[in-house]
Amino acid sequence: MTRNFLTLEGARREDLRAILDLARIHAAGNGDRPLAGKTICLAFFEASTRTAVSFELAARRCGADVISLSEKGSAIAKGESLIDTVVTLDCLGVDALVLRHPAAGAATLAARHTGAAVVNAGDGCGQHPTQALLDLYALGEAVGGFDELAGRRVAIVGDILHSRVARSVIPAFLAAGVEVALVAPRTLLPQDAGIWDLPVLSSVDDALLWGAGVLYTLRLQRERMTGARVPSVSEYARFYGVAGRHLRDGVLVMHPGPVNRGVEISGDVVLDGHSLIPDQVAAGIHVRSAVLALAAGTAHEVAA
Amino acid sequence: MSGRNGAPAELVIRHVHVLDPGNRLDGVADVRLREGRVAEVGEGLRGACELDVDGLHLFPGFVDVHAHWRTPGREDEESIESGSAAAAAGGFTGIVMMPNTDPVVDRPVIVESLVRRVEKESRVRAYVSAALHAGLKGERLTEMRLLGEAGAFCVSDDGLGTASAGVLRNGMLYARSAGLPVILHCEDHALATGVVHDGAYAALAGIPGSPASAEDAATATALVLAAETGAKVHITHVSTALSAALVGFFKRRADVSADTTPHHLTLTDGLVATLDGLFRVNPPLRPETDRDGVTDALRDGVLDFVATDHAPHAPEEKELPFEEAAPGFLGHETAFAALYTELVLRGAVSLPRLVEAMSCSPGRWVGEGEGIVVGGPADLALIDLSEEWTVGRETLVSRSSNSPYLGRGLTSRVVGTIVGGELVYDRLGAKFGVQA
Repeated sequence: MTRNFLTLEGARREDLRAILDLARIHAAGNGDRPLAGKTICLAFFEASTRTAVSFELAARRCGADVISLSEKGSAIAKGESLIDTVVTLDCLGVDALVLRHPAAGAATLAARHTGAAVVNAGDGCGQHPTQALLDLYALGEAVGGFDELAGRRVAIVGDILHSRVARSVIPAFLAAGVEVALVAPRTLLPQDAGIWDLPVLSSVDDALLWGAGVLYTLRLQRERMTGARVPSVSEYARFYGVAGRHLRDGVLVMHPGPVNRGVEISGDVVLDGHSLIPDQVAAGIHVRSAVLALAAGTAHEVAA
Repeated sequence: MSGRNGAPAELVIRHVHVLDPGNRLDGVADVRLREGRVAEVGEGLRGACELDVDGLHLFPGFVDVHAHWRTPGREDEESIESGSAAAAAGGFTGIVMMPNTDPVVDRPVIVESLVRRVEKESRVRAYVSAALHAGLKGERLTEMRLLGEAGAFCVSDDGLGTASAGVLRNGMLYARSAGLPVILHCEDHALATGVVHDGAYAALAGIPGSPASAEDAATATALVLAAETGAKVHITHVSTALSAALVGFFKRRADVSADTTPHHLTLTDGLVATLDGLFRVNPPLRPETDRDGVTDALRDGVLDFVATDHAPHAPEEKELPFEEAAPGFLGHETAFAALYTELVLRGAVSLPRLVEAMSCSPGRWVGEGEGIVVGGPADLALIDLSEEWTVGRETLVSRSSNSPYLGRGLTSRVVGTIVGGELVYDRLGAKFGVQA
């Protein structure tokens, strides 16, 4: 029995809690080796540091055999299609496929063509479910547990239009009972951002007036800075950048990385006491251990 | 044209419900076909060769001004033979072949070759659209007068559109001189940066969206230029309510007509949520408000007719994430059944209006518009309005299988298609256990 982790759209509170409970067991070092004898393939067809490394560490700590594929060294570079690659891995007996791909929907497509569990490690601007899970974990730990998340206010700040992280974090936070607002210029929001039915605010200062206890900042990619979407880095930083002055009265800052210091977040706060960024990175291994164990391991089934 | 069955000298179709809004025919009658033409419509007609099809409907054959038969260049996806077989299976007796092939249909020698091949290989009447500009690159106009002499019926920029309004304006002026209608694909590429409609489903899926303005702005430009140049302009695959309204505004100000597609009339961008590249199409599937607006415009005649944009693709071009998949759907074989099921049976459009929009109106546009009239060509579609069937790869005649209706149940099915008196598609045997 395998389970796919493709999207957090439609995620339910109890499913999230079950995953995070298991992550906590792994964090305490009591996760056994649920993937002993299992083979996990990490197929990263797009650059990644923290996601790839934490998945690999998670898989190894759970006792799995790990094989890694990247676009450069694989048959994808020779023109093999994603489906053919996935079918090949299936034939080789891979138990779970962790897929990072530049196109939205790639993990869903892969899952249609393999019996192995597929874990979406980021697909284009689509979804990045394990990122949102580790965010919930890190924030939950910081505020005293999963149940303490309900009723808190989180402002998601930045390039929501192009963010797979936002598309996973929004439904995950909402499922956990968190109130969410979006903070971005209209050029970095989807045309129909109303689909989420969330407040749209126009600066970090407004987010604090709204009562945000957490500023979840997103990476502003370099090509957005030079295109017509943002007039200048300094204007962006002025209205949408998080600075030390914003982090008073216990306001926390989060960021999925990699950080553009001085753009979406000022350099001095990245690692200061109000920053959960290091906690997010650390949570990655525990959460991904739990996800891999549920996807391909012998861990107890949770309803999904 | 090559039919599988030779045309009998005379055939009497008995007890058929003849529906031809263009000739105010709507009732059960017998129809005598002789030497490729309609010889008689009446009651109690008898003949040596009879076909009693009690319960079936007989329409003027459907006409599709927008087909991609992938010839020359991608005959693995569709050929004149297979494309025309698919058209016949959908009740189409006339189609227009689009020029965005490989090579592009931009030289007289290519037009001549296609015209010759159509004579030999097509089961239905097929008209060649040449390119509006060389290579469909939007820079240099094609030799439209020579293309016309070679047999081109019209010119088009389909596939990509024309980036420069200046080139488009000159193209319209020159096409008018050459006496050729222009079929336009309206898409502003500065705005059309995505692969699905920029709406709620694009937002949720994270698939890059193109705003409706990409079509609307280009449609407005084309209509303004049509009014100014006096060219005969046809706007194809209108997919938004605003573009349809713009067409309506220009109807009395320009020599303009427009079509929309079965998929824009029956499907919405909710299919983006499947993340299945099969559903990528250009213009993209739109929200319900646009689908309904386009449907109303078709019902009211603001949009003149339906065209399918039949666009076959190989599986490896479709079994991909949305962003990488090729845009386009098969159209011929499911057009009438999908529209009958989704529009007529739901009361959105009447059956006579649908027949007018698939037969009479596009027929007039290609000059075939006589319909079921004594002395006119016997181009006819026999339909069973009550047959229920499920679209599957095995039901498709096309060389490709990228139908957005795969797995869907539809009501009404083509039973026979007659071109010039010849039965070019024939399910009568399967249906009645007899052969005409």
